[in-house]
Amino acid sequence: MSDSCAGGCPYGLVNDPFPGQCGRYIDFNGNGVCDLSQVGAATNTPSSSSDQTSSPDTSSDSLNENVVDHGNSNGSDNITGVPDSGSGGSDGVSVGMDGPNYHVLPISILLLAAYLGTYFLFKKGILNPKTHKRVWNLLVTVGYVGVGITGVLLTTMVNLGIKAYSQGITFWHTEMAILMVIGTLIHLHIYRKPFKRMFKVLFKWKSAPANK
Amino acid sequence: MVYAFLLPSLPVLGGYLYTYTLYKRGLIRKTLHVNFWNFLIGVSFLISGGGGFLLLIAMELGIVLPLSPEMFYWHVELGISMILITLFHFHCYWKSALEMVFLKSRRDRT
Repeated sequence: MSDSCAGGCPYGLVNDPFPGQCGRYIDFNGNGVCDLSQVGAATNTPSSSSDQTSSPDTSSDSLNENVVDHGNSNGSDNITGVPDSGSGGSDGVSVGMDGPNYHVLPISILLLAAYLGTYFLFKKGILNPKTHKRVWNLLVTVGYVGVGITGVLLTTMVNLGIKAYSQGITFWHTEMAILMVIGTLIHLHIYRKPFKRMFKVLFKWKSAPANK
Repeated sequence: MVYAFLLPSLPVLGGYLYTYTLYKRGLIRKTLHVNFWNFLIGVSFLISGGGGFLLLIAMELGIVLPLSPEMFYWHVELGISMILITLFHFHCYWKSALEMVFLKSRRDRT
């Protein structure tokens, strides 16, 4: 699977039919199959593309079947639906084969440095423990709310086959997700004692004698 | 590809109502109810958030993992569940959440 679409679909999808499994769906040749996921020998109809969906991974069969089924059912719609979105060019956002660049490292490093900073201030007694917790709880909430709203929007848009603004929403979904993931790790560090207690309560784990 | 909304959200909603009812009727302790849902938010975060983060890093490095399509599918489906579980997390810690947003503590308000 990875060989057939190396440098194409970032998620490794093969011949992904309209409306596409993700917000990156583009179809400039109007054949109803995402250009990024298309295997070298292009197919004209989604039904024929399903024959080429065979992959070396047996584990992925169920998913591919899902994709193929929906592709067949939407096959007739593709002919009319795709040229519109294709000519629209995904609302004018430039979509390269690599997609937009996300700021994984800068945001992660910035957040971790900021946490170390506030943690140092809190340990030195300069920052109120409540304020320290409040700031990081607010940030992680912003991350979850942002990811949740953009995620629901994207999923609804994929289900309805709407392409407008999908690139921009995907971008903000990803940026917010970085905040959410790093924020959650920080949240777990702040609430590490209740986190450990959770395992005790649920699985009756006992703490080591040294932790008394 | 059409993603299911109800399939990943209805069992979560039903499960929460079930454990909440058990807690309200005094059949289970509140700590058990809260910790059970804390555990579930952790699991959904690991699969949905962790999977998404892994996909993102792989994408940034230009790598397509053999399980990427499956991971992407479950990232979306469990993400829908995680939205609901996050709302339940806020419900469990409602008073703390209010304090966080409005700054005033319960002691200050009385």
